[in-house]
Amino acid sequence: MTWSSARTRRIRPLLGTFVEIRLDPGGRGDGPGDIDAAFAEIEAVHRLMSWHEPGSDVSRLNREAAHHPVRVDARTWNVLCLAREMSEASRGLFDVTVEPWLRRFGILPGEVGDELFAATRGDYRDIELLSGRRVRFTRPLRLCLDGIAKGYAVDRAVECLRGRGARAGAVNAGGDLRVFGPRPQPLHLRDPRDACRLLPLPPLRNEAAATSAACFARSGTNCNPILDPRSKAPAPARSVTVIARRCAVADALTKVVALLPKPGGCLERFNARALVLEPETAAPA
Amino acid sequence: MPGRLVHIVLPVAAIAAVPAAVLGAQYLTVEQAQKSAFPEADRFVPLPLRLTPQQAESVTKATGLRVRDPQLRLWIAMKDSRILGHVFVDEVLGKHEFITYALAVSPAGGVLAVEILDYRESYGGEVRDPQWLRQFAGKTASAPLKLDDDIRNISGATLSCRHVTDGVKRLLATHDLVVRAH
Repeated sequence: MTWSSARTRRIRPLLGTFVEIRLDPGGRGDGPGDIDAAFAEIEAVHRLMSWHEPGSDVSRLNREAAHHPVRVDARTWNVLCLAREMSEASRGLFDVTVEPWLRRFGILPGEVGDELFAATRGDYRDIELLSGRRVRFTRPLRLCLDGIAKGYAVDRAVECLRGRGARAGAVNAGGDLRVFGPRPQPLHLRDPRDACRLLPLPPLRNEAAATSAACFARSGTNCNPILDPRSKAPAPARSVTVIARRCAVADALTKVVALLPKPGGCLERFNARALVLEPETAAPA
Repeated sequence: MPGRLVHIVLPVAAIAAVPAAVLGAQYLTVEQAQKSAFPEADRFVPLPLRLTPQQAESVTKATGLRVRDPQLRLWIAMKDSRILGHVFVDEVLGKHEFITYALAVSPAGGVLAVEILDYRESYGGEVRDPQWLRQFAGKTASAPLKLDDDIRNISGATLSCRHVTDGVKRLLATHDLVVRAH
């Protein structure tokens, strides 16, 4: 039975941003209860994968996996497997082990002590995915899954809503979003020059969009939190939007496209599209 | 990648001022937020305490956050004669956004729920430039689309939710220092 003829929207602070869930009328299920269940999925991803939470799988891996295998939740496992696939497809441009460098450059908080210097020599190939969802690091490593976990949380929320009978709606976690339902839905991009202006894009249908956090700083300093895992340099100041079926894929691909605007076969392999906005560079003084 | 990647150079020049509009929505009423946080409550008793300057100062001392408004919007969630918890309604004002939210607190002072009631961003307007849209020729979804002006699916970072998390911190300290002892 249909629960309501009205659209329902809720927004909560989660994952360090605002997460909005919208359900359009006409589905089965109970509306507000479905939205609560979808938020619970997002909270679960946060608890499991937040770098900031000492009890998360990520924190446990960072403390222990170099010493012995650590068993992780199925959801963390799914993200690590996708991250690996993304690293291989992008030949290392996507790499969840750049965490020590994110700290070194102040993008993540915390001191960079001796143990972190030891962790700067590894890369994604040093993460071993073992049977029974166990994970081991073959050398000291530090992970940060922020570049893919937000998109994954959006996917979990959408799958939850659809599983409970929702017919159409959207989940938007701070700009990483996914829409579902038979009708195409409008998509706008925040103008990287002014976050309060919106640029219209072609509508989405049963797809996800993710946009990298870049800013066009007039002072010329590059504030891009995306680092090239090979050179450790920040990616050029570009705004990258990727559209793919799954938000986790779109989220991860923004990092690849930000570093390499001709991203080889990556877009094709994941059946994705990308929009890159580059600032006009001023002539040197 | 022909067809898969669109690459656009944007002039960084100053954007001409456009009339400000408001982008936002009301998500929940106060009553809906109360009932959602405490479904077994049979009534919500208003407790509109006003913080004294000393109380406000002790909250600031405990949290490092300023108390902008000493007037609390606060209700006790009750079932029969039992206190189930409290509901605060507060608002925060960022540079571009105005947010009203509800915080449900357990008797022990723990966060039960945070729900946004109202969210508004100052919004400089949508760029309506035919040249801009021409870049996506052939990439539009095939079905004819009636744009619902109310729906904006926006990709790109939201303005910070830091203000809300700071607000929650301030209200928890207020609960601890003022409400529990009341």
